[in-house]
Amino acid sequence: MNNDLVAGEAPVFTAKDLSVYYGSNLALKGVDLEIRPRRITAIIGPSGCGKSTLIRCFNRMNELIPGARVSGEVLYHGENIYGAGVDPVVVRRRIGMVFQRPNPFPKSVYDNVAFGAKINGYKGDMDELVERSLRRAALWDEVKTKLKKSALDLSGGQQQRLCIARAIAVEPDVILMDEPASALDPIATARIEDLMQELKKDYSIVIVTHNMQQAARVSDETAFLYTEVDETTAARWGILVEFGQTGEIFTKPRDKRTEDYVSGRFG
Amino acid sequence: MRDSFHKELESLDEDVVRLGTLVEESTRGATTALIECDKELAERVRAGDDAIDALFLDIEKRSLRLMAQQAPVAGDLRLLVAILRVLTDLERSGDLAHSIAKAALAEDFCQPQLKAVRALVADLGRAAAKLMGAAVDAWAAKDEQLAADLALQDDVLDDLQARLLEGLLQLKGEENLGPAIRLAMVGRYLERIGDHAVNLGERLRYYLTGDETLLG
Repeated sequence: MNNDLVAGEAPVFTAKDLSVYYGSNLALKGVDLEIRPRRITAIIGPSGCGKSTLIRCFNRMNELIPGARVSGEVLYHGENIYGAGVDPVVVRRRIGMVFQRPNPFPKSVYDNVAFGAKINGYKGDMDELVERSLRRAALWDEVKTKLKKSALDLSGGQQQRLCIARAIAVEPDVILMDEPASALDPIATARIEDLMQELKKDYSIVIVTHNMQQAARVSDETAFLYTEVDETTAARWGILVEFGQTGEIFTKPRDKRTEDYVSGRFG
Repeated sequence: MRDSFHKELESLDEDVVRLGTLVEESTRGATTALIECDKELAERVRAGDDAIDALFLDIEKRSLRLMAQQAPVAGDLRLLVAILRVLTDLERSGDLAHSIAKAALAEDFCQPQLKAVRALVADLGRAAAKLMGAAVDAWAAKDEQLAADLALQDDVLDDLQARLLEGLLQLKGEENLGPAIRLAMVGRYLERIGDHAVNLGERLRYYLTGDETLLG
């Protein structure tokens, strides 16, 4: 793996022999991976290769699916988040998530951003927190005069940035993004991509994307997942084929499967 | 997926071979015209440069279009970068062959006192055309070893060019000054064609290995 850490820079996440099962079906097999701080890590691969399954391991979201089971370890700053006594709610507070379709609450713009902080018993200046979060999400100028209006009146791109502001407001360490721009038009997509570059100064970002050009444009490192098939049982599961610097993955990948996928020869 | 893109890329790759073959023939023809004082052949080589330029522009235009519209990556990207780089080498080599043909039209090199240097120019021309041919073969076969061997063959050209210059310096008499200067330039053109052939090999090795130092 060409993922040597800069000296003294501990990984945010370390997946060790990570496998995920849905019931008795293996969905993801034996992933070893390190996510570095204040970088954008893209996870790419064809449909059904386990990209979303993998990203959901980083904040224990898979547990919300009945029958899902994880084996191996996910170390977050060295601590196994699947260890006994670890509260998944606490994990999710440090590791925010943004989904494919913007999912603001049917509340005002202000209340959407303040929601998490309120639940966490935030004692500081709430107006200041809302403004700061919206500014960081590059949305403040567009919504500052309509903070009390329903979030559902915003455009799709604005709603997605509102969801990012909502994730930022609880001051997480990591932002996971599962296809954050796939429901947006090119201009709204470009805004999200620009925003990601700003956010990575303070946060570690992991993004699942179907759009290979997006991965090439925004990420520092890329993980390519692919589907393995058992010829006798037709069972399929995802494996990590290659992980490395994005520039390398898109100019001289080491594995033939990565080469064929990124250059559109299959997938 | 992306079938039409990959077909167009293959077609560009084949056209590079066509262009290289034209340059090789042009180099061979220009040298023969010069040493045999065949003005008719020199004229044909000179006129043939238009076809080289037209094919060069066509490949360049189509390559840029693929870059813009298909966002190539990985091996596809490296092949397109390599194609764009060798295009310049081939087009310049074509121009050099054209200049040799012009020299063949401008002067009569068949005088007896030029016999010895003429033989050296003939050797140099054959070696340059052979090297360009080997580069085109390596490209067509995508053969890394053949590509790496080109640099060794280039030493022969450097040696022949040095011998040609020595031979020219030994020519006596004012009447030989003009031909000597022209032949020195022809020697330089042929040696440059050899360098471009070596570049072709390096661009090919970049495509095959991803080693960026081979683009330098």
